[in-house]
Amino acid sequence: MARLITFLALTLILPFLCNSFSPEKPTDRRVLVLLDDLALKSSHSLFFKALQSRGFELDFKLADDPKVGLQRYGQYIYDALILFSPTVDRFGGSIDAAAILDFVDSGHDLILASDVNASDLIREIAVECGVDFDEDASALVIDHSSYAVSDTEGDHTLIASDDFINSDVILGSKKIEASFDFDVAPVLFQGVGHTINPANSLVLKVLSASPSAYSANPRSKLSNPPSITGSAISLVSVARNNARVLISGSLSLFSNRFFRSGVQKAGSSIKYEKSGNEQFLTELSKWVFHERGHLKAVNVKHHKAGEVDEPAIYRINDDLEYSVEIYEWSGTSWEPYVADDVQVQFYMMSPYVLKTLSTDPKGRYFTSFKVPDVYGVFQFKVEYNRLGYTSLSLSKQIPVRPFRHNEYERFITAAYPYYGAAFSMMAGFFIFTAVHLYSK
Amino acid sequence: MAARNLSGFLVLVLVIAICEAAFVFHPITDAHRSAALDLFTPLDGSFSSLEEAYEALRSFEILGIDKKPDIRSTTCHSVLETLGSSSSSPKDLYHALRVNGILKCEVKEELFEGIVLSLKAIVSSASSLLEFYYSIGSLALIKDQSSNANVLLSDAAGVFRSIKALSQSDGRWRYGSNNPESSTSAAGLAFKALAGVIALASSEIDQAMLGTLKNDISKLFDSVEKYDDGAFYFDEKVVEAHEHQGPLSTTASVVRGITALADVTSGNIKLPGDKILGLAKFFLGIGVPGDTKDFFNQIDSLASLENNRVSVPLILSLPATVLSLSKKDQLKVKVNTVLGSNSPPLTVKLVRASRSGSKDGSIIESQDLKFDKESDSHFLDLPKTVDVGKFVFVFEVVLHDSELEKVYATGGQTQVPVFITGFIKVENAEIAVLDSDLGSVESLKKLDFAGESIVLLSANHLQKLRLSFQLTTPLGLAFKPHQLVEKLVRLQVFLKLRHETKVDHIFVVGNSGKKFEILLDFLGLVEKFYYLSGSYDIELTVGDTVMENSFLKAIGKIELDLPEAPEKAPRPPLQPVDPYSRYGPKAEISHIFRAPEKRPPKELSLAFLGLTFVPLVGFLIGLLCLGVNFKNFPSSAVPATFAILFHLGIAAVLLLYVLFWLKLDLFTTLKVLGFLGAFLLFVGHRILSHLASSSAKLKSA
Repeated sequence: MARLITFLALTLILPFLCNSFSPEKPTDRRVLVLLDDLALKSSHSLFFKALQSRGFELDFKLADDPKVGLQRYGQYIYDALILFSPTVDRFGGSIDAAAILDFVDSGHDLILASDVNASDLIREIAVECGVDFDEDASALVIDHSSYAVSDTEGDHTLIASDDFINSDVILGSKKIEASFDFDVAPVLFQGVGHTINPANSLVLKVLSASPSAYSANPRSKLSNPPSITGSAISLVSVARNNARVLISGSLSLFSNRFFRSGVQKAGSSIKYEKSGNEQFLTELSKWVFHERGHLKAVNVKHHKAGEVDEPAIYRINDDLEYSVEIYEWSGTSWEPYVADDVQVQFYMMSPYVLKTLSTDPKGRYFTSFKVPDVYGVFQFKVEYNRLGYTSLSLSKQIPVRPFRHNEYERFITAAYPYYGAAFSMMAGFFIFTAVHLYSK
Repeated sequence: MAARNLSGFLVLVLVIAICEAAFVFHPITDAHRSAALDLFTPLDGSFSSLEEAYEALRSFEILGIDKKPDIRSTTCHSVLETLGSSSSSPKDLYHALRVNGILKCEVKEELFEGIVLSLKAIVSSASSLLEFYYSIGSLALIKDQSSNANVLLSDAAGVFRSIKALSQSDGRWRYGSNNPESSTSAAGLAFKALAGVIALASSEIDQAMLGTLKNDISKLFDSVEKYDDGAFYFDEKVVEAHEHQGPLSTTASVVRGITALADVTSGNIKLPGDKILGLAKFFLGIGVPGDTKDFFNQIDSLASLENNRVSVPLILSLPATVLSLSKKDQLKVKVNTVLGSNSPPLTVKLVRASRSGSKDGSIIESQDLKFDKESDSHFLDLPKTVDVGKFVFVFEVVLHDSELEKVYATGGQTQVPVFITGFIKVENAEIAVLDSDLGSVESLKKLDFAGESIVLLSANHLQKLRLSFQLTTPLGLAFKPHQLVEKLVRLQVFLKLRHETKVDHIFVVGNSGKKFEILLDFLGLVEKFYYLSGSYDIELTVGDTVMENSFLKAIGKIELDLPEAPEKAPRPPLQPVDPYSRYGPKAEISHIFRAPEKRPPKELSLAFLGLTFVPLVGFLIGLLCLGVNFKNFPSSAVPATFAILFHLGIAAVLLLYVLFWLKLDLFTTLKVLGFLGAFLLFVGHRILSHLASSSAKLKSA
């Protein structure tokens, strides 16, 4: 009996527990953390605590735990995955590289931290996300010019980098406010470098190495040019297909030691009390877990100027008004998104009209234009791709017809002579009939 | 599987740690103190459990933190509640008493007496190790906190034996007599419990029993595991235990047990000093844990090692292992206990210092470091003959009082890798374009790395580019490059040529004979350069871990004239697109409407409109001239009506045409025209037949 009661209680609570990811509330909630070693829970606790304090439910599992799984009964039971297991050769349970990629493809987010001697499995996942780690498994990023000055670490693999991507939505706008002189504390990094495929437009370099950096095995002498050098090395990258993926070549980037450590970049006299890691990763994780930069577009409306209802068809040369509302998810609610670069296209094979939309502070975007004098089936298209924001792609089909027979201009001055001739002939005819019939 | 991976990863973590921390362990510092305040934060003025409260209070006590959160009243309240409740388990009592030991809450003596009685009953009937551990631990705590309670065990030897019965042949212990699994951390608990029994014994414990116990300890230490850096730790062999215990908590448990035993047996336990030092190194090597449990385990174990009776580990640490020759850094060494307090008088001896990885002799041999009382550190000015490079310094700690050598574990010789950095001069740098076949110098330019000047060169595919320079270490000795390369640790000398299209090529500058030199034969490189002619930026990177003036400098431009690319030549690789440009708004497009047809001016049309009426006017004038009359109009009423209707009908049709022009559409017009036509046909027929008959009458007449 007691068991029955508990079961009932559970089924009742279950619907309330599922306050997870949904289109209406896009922030992730349940996060699976796969670790190589449970000691990471303690050594990286600041990062995890920051996440927990923002309301994420972290579920820590060993990567080779045989009970671990992303799905149950065909449903994903997690919204996001954190892979802090650079050396794992095979995941436990039903998880493999394909399962993780399916997880990402279905719109779930991923944070992947690699490190020296990363396993092939981790590399494979990274490659599928558009990131290539240095082929030499034991290579580290070395930089003799912008290393972090340290009394105890002399081999220049601890790098202080401040070459961030210039994007408020990914890294937050607080960065600049927080410091006095617009200087951002460099981020400490120690690990493998990677490159991103230039043909892939979905991958971004968030943190890049300085031009003098190179990636090589610290234990061997350099004889051949290193495979990747300079600012082509990305230290942290993000990829996205509206699912967001963060890939880092360093696991210690997330560690308490780096979070707490002070930093001084070589050649600079400024010594920062605290490295930029904590802020960098907090802001970045907000972005990865959809607390920022997630847009939705609703209420797409269009109608003829001066009317309210949406017509089924437009005539060429009609004046029309188009409007759409765009909102950004702030982590708790939908806030109006205000920008000056949203554009609408009136499109048939190629854009006939491309116009930047005006906006008001409520997130409503509107414009008006004249339908081109070409008829056919057109689309209203809004393709909004901005660095770090969800891509918006709206399209609405609408046909455009030519003038009807009675819609052309009727009284053309230039034609008056022809009309006049016809009417004068008609008058002549009338007079002629009378004269012809009755004149004697 | 899990266990193997786990230890594998731990080894990896440590390997990384070795690369970074390089065998140098540092005693507890302020980083731990600030972390402790961050970690142990009570919720609403109290901790969730007394165990947690104890961990926090004990950590604060060990670290000597004064500004601890004020939790005394709420915590004391729950201590008294736990002690007063008859349903409290030994475990609850144990934690409450531990907290009481620190907070000194006002507990009544009678309360203790009641607890002592029940605890003694538990001890005599206990069968599992944890029961022994908590009840004996509680009794030992009461012994310290209450002067009156009679806590002494009358049957100490019996209790001792029943705990000892749980020991295993390999030095590990079982949690209970009916639990066959043995565990290393249980051994620690057992030692602690036995130490309690010895302390509480009313009579001396048999020395033979202590002898077997010592045997157990040495067996347990046979299973101690070791990292490459000299750290020792204990780990559970069986991970399937219901609650996994990491190496940290296992080692902490053993350390607490051993030190407690050593205390009560007045140092009768002998363990090799390097193992004790190794255990201390293990705890220090963890850094600052982010978990309260780990933090407490680390701090508490270090505190037990700090004052233990076996041997007190002394940690030799270097505040800086990167020494700059240009800043005239001194070699400084500190020797402290694990918690960072001062060591007894001692001398630190630099046994030798040799270049890491080379077989050359040592550069410094057996020198004593001077002691500086103010900074409490030992220092040495680096001799003038020391050049840049990576060295291994071997230190030895010699205690002034040789009696103390039994008390302290110094660990013999300590190896510390040290980087000595300095300015490396770049001299005699020149860049030249050579003619290929003759090798004659076409244009030779000196390079000055101090200035901002850049050189401009031009070459075709039949020529060569030569860059050469010398590197000199601070000592100014004319080192040959291969000797220099040995001194330098991780030399990076790259020459980079970057085309206008951002395609770049990197060459490693080699060392030949006396200098660093690279010779680029463009003939062999055209394919690698993808036949791209044009301006190339030349960048030189010179860097090393011990070079303080590593640089990346644009040294010039070269205008390359390469042959046309053949059809099958490889294409240059795709260059990454700037992400910012990829996302900007697009240029606006507005539709160009068809221009309206050209029309004549209005006046002209109106003039021609007037002209079209001229024939009508002429026609009317002509009619008047002809003398038109209406004499033929029927005179009788009926035909006249038909005539009028006929002409009205014609007028209506014409008017309909006008209306068709003005507003009507074709269908309305045709409809109306149908009726009008029928009407017109009827009236037309009547009037025309009337006219025809009247004209026929006229003719016939």
